[in-house]
Amino acid sequence: MNNLIKFYFAILVLCASTAASAQVNIEVNTPGVVALKQSMQARHAQLAEFYSSGAVGLTSDGMVALRDANAVPMAARQKANGLVAAENQDRKSLYAEIARANAHPEWEGDIRNTFAQRWIQRAQAGWWVQSGGSWSKK
Amino acid sequence: MLNKTIIYIKIHLLNYCLSGLLIFCLLFLSAPLYAVQITLNVADIVAPSFTAHGIKVILAQDGSAEFSIDDFHLAEKKWRKVYVHCTEFLLSSTRVTCHKGKLDAIPDMPFTFSYTFSSQRLELQFASNANELWQVNADFRAKPWHATALLRNAQGKRLTGFLPPNGPLPTQGTLNGILVVHGDKGGISQINADLQLANLAAADTSGLHAAEQLTGKLYINADRTGQKWNWRSTLDWQGGELFWQPLYLRSGHTLQASGQWDGAQLKVTQAMVNLPEVGKVELNALWDIKKSNLLEGRLVGESLSLANGFANYAKPFLEQGSLSATELKGRADVDWQYRNGATQALLLKLHDAAVEDGEKRFALHGINADIPWHAQLQNAAHVAFSDGALMGLPLGATQWQIQMRGMDFTLPTATLPLLDGKLEVSNFHMQNANNMWQWNFSSTLTSISMQKLSAALHWPEMHGSLSGSIPKVSYQDKLLKVDGTLLFRVFDGTVLANHLELFDPFGRAPRLSGNLDMRELDLDLLTRTFSFGNIQGRIDLGVNNLELVSWQPVHFDARLASSPGKYRKRISQKAVENISSLGGAGGVAALQRSFLRIFENFGYDRIGLSCMLQNDVCTMAGAEDNGNAYTIVKGGGIPAITVIGYNRKVGWSELLNRLKRVSQDNKAVIK
Repeated sequence: MNNLIKFYFAILVLCASTAASAQVNIEVNTPGVVALKQSMQARHAQLAEFYSSGAVGLTSDGMVALRDANAVPMAARQKANGLVAAENQDRKSLYAEIARANAHPEWEGDIRNTFAQRWIQRAQAGWWVQSGGSWSKK
Repeated sequence: MLNKTIIYIKIHLLNYCLSGLLIFCLLFLSAPLYAVQITLNVADIVAPSFTAHGIKVILAQDGSAEFSIDDFHLAEKKWRKVYVHCTEFLLSSTRVTCHKGKLDAIPDMPFTFSYTFSSQRLELQFASNANELWQVNADFRAKPWHATALLRNAQGKRLTGFLPPNGPLPTQGTLNGILVVHGDKGGISQINADLQLANLAAADTSGLHAAEQLTGKLYINADRTGQKWNWRSTLDWQGGELFWQPLYLRSGHTLQASGQWDGAQLKVTQAMVNLPEVGKVELNALWDIKKSNLLEGRLVGESLSLANGFANYAKPFLEQGSLSATELKGRADVDWQYRNGATQALLLKLHDAAVEDGEKRFALHGINADIPWHAQLQNAAHVAFSDGALMGLPLGATQWQIQMRGMDFTLPTATLPLLDGKLEVSNFHMQNANNMWQWNFSSTLTSISMQKLSAALHWPEMHGSLSGSIPKVSYQDKLLKVDGTLLFRVFDGTVLANHLELFDPFGRAPRLSGNLDMRELDLDLLTRTFSFGNIQGRIDLGVNNLELVSWQPVHFDARLASSPGKYRKRISQKAVENISSLGGAGGVAALQRSFLRIFENFGYDRIGLSCMLQNDVCTMAGAEDNGNAYTIVKGGGIPAITVIGYNRKVGWSELLNRLKRVSQDNKAVIK
């Protein structure tokens, strides 16, 4: 009987969470989102070469990481570090801003997970993506 | 036919005891006789510094020998399946020699080995055709015994097997020089090394610790007394580059250092480091080797270049922070003292320094400061700067005296010249709690010219003044809060700003919220400033729940209405056209078609317009509402004109565009 109650409760929670996530507008365009996207777009031109070389990869938590610094000329490694740090800062702010624009700051984690899947789906062939803690070439 | 003889032997070699079961397998092949060979199997050899298991020696009739060792341990390193071939092998009662030897692991480096039992002299030499030489000569009978290693064009990559596998491993480059070791019964007692590195490259698997084209000289001298070593060293880094996450360094560094080492701790009693394009620093340190952490340290430098020092050695650690785009200039004297896991003192003097934010959010120039900070003592810092800027607003010359007690800083009073006015700051208090900085102060802003302010912020030129009393400004967890009311005197009226909060002021998307209450603004001045056509009269404007993100409005509840009281109320045809054009071009056309076009201006009774901005849509209402229509300008006097709007929902971006272009589809009509 207890198991039955737990089962129905679980279904209820699942439906509620599905309903909640279904209402998220991740395409929302507030000035904050626009500013962050513009900043990320401007940076993308510099990051693209590092994605292609495999130096930087897309992590499973919606961030980017310097996964193989050996693929970057030594004098450019600090720059790659800086780009990764700035990109992650913007990404974190973007997820928070979209959650806030949806009037649900607590959805930040879900939005981040959705974006993580999106980034990886949209990654170009040859880029490195992370899944379950391990890296693979798309 | 097979004969087998089993012999138990014990050999003393180099004072080490070699024991084991030696099985002589004498394989006598029936024919031919020249194919005779002897195979020796040795179970193991155990010595204090090395062990070898599964040793097999095959002695051939032609004088050659094959050695194979299953496991070989030396200096905490382990090799498996080691094969050695000696073209000429000789074992006699006086010596053992191996000529034209070859190690399977380094087939390109033939070697010769010789050890004389009586004199206990050892000679080992690896040499390649490429003029590469690794040569060791040792005399173990001398008192003290000594060994000399001579390196000539020695390939650095051959050291890979001796280095920690997780650290950077050399891939190319050469070593030249000499290493001399002396010892006694207690082990090695003296080391002298004079080495030259050329074009050394090394990297770990992640590439976060790597070197390329590394060239330089290293000299080390160390003497052991009991368990303690006294050492001296000089390093001259002449070429190449190094990346040691997150630092990227180029050649030009030199180091002279001396200290002690006892196996558990490394003490640098004195060191002088020349940092290229920065200056010289003296340092001492006590390092816990096992825990890999700094126990004590002190760094002293005078007249160091802040520009290069900050850019090369500090900024790489600040990539995540708001100082990542900051540049420093000028010179500094630094005395940093570290103990018990924390900075105990930082004595800092700045000489004609400057700090500039790369995104032009703040800047200070002509900074001269004396900051004698101690973790436990109370002290006063003197800071002065000649000029600066904050969010585009110019700051004038200032001197501050800051009281410091640990991570607690107070500034009882200070004056910050701002444009033609000043910000009088009192009770500034800054502290670090739980690794988060927070601060607060109260202040009075004395009259600043709106003309200068609008010019500094690149706004349309405004007249009036800005002043205010701010009971408290506080910053904590990225939130800047203004308690109290800011008072602006603009357009001959007043603007009160309250409940102001600014979140993440140095972030990519700062968020400002607050309320504005504007009273009796002179429309004549206002419309002239914004080139909107002339309107005479006065208005009140309330903006509640204002929220700006990245300095763009995302939400507000604004209500504009004619101020109460008697005053001249006229509106020009141009202004009517522009108000109408915000709804569309048709209104303008209607006005121009009517006889009203002959009048330059009109009388009006009142103006009213409200906009509630939400989700990028402005929901509008007027001075009077009638169903879908709302009156923006209610006519009065002769000739009178009334402007009515019909579109209650206008996209904010669209409205802004119309304000810019002031011509689009008509949704307002003229009666």
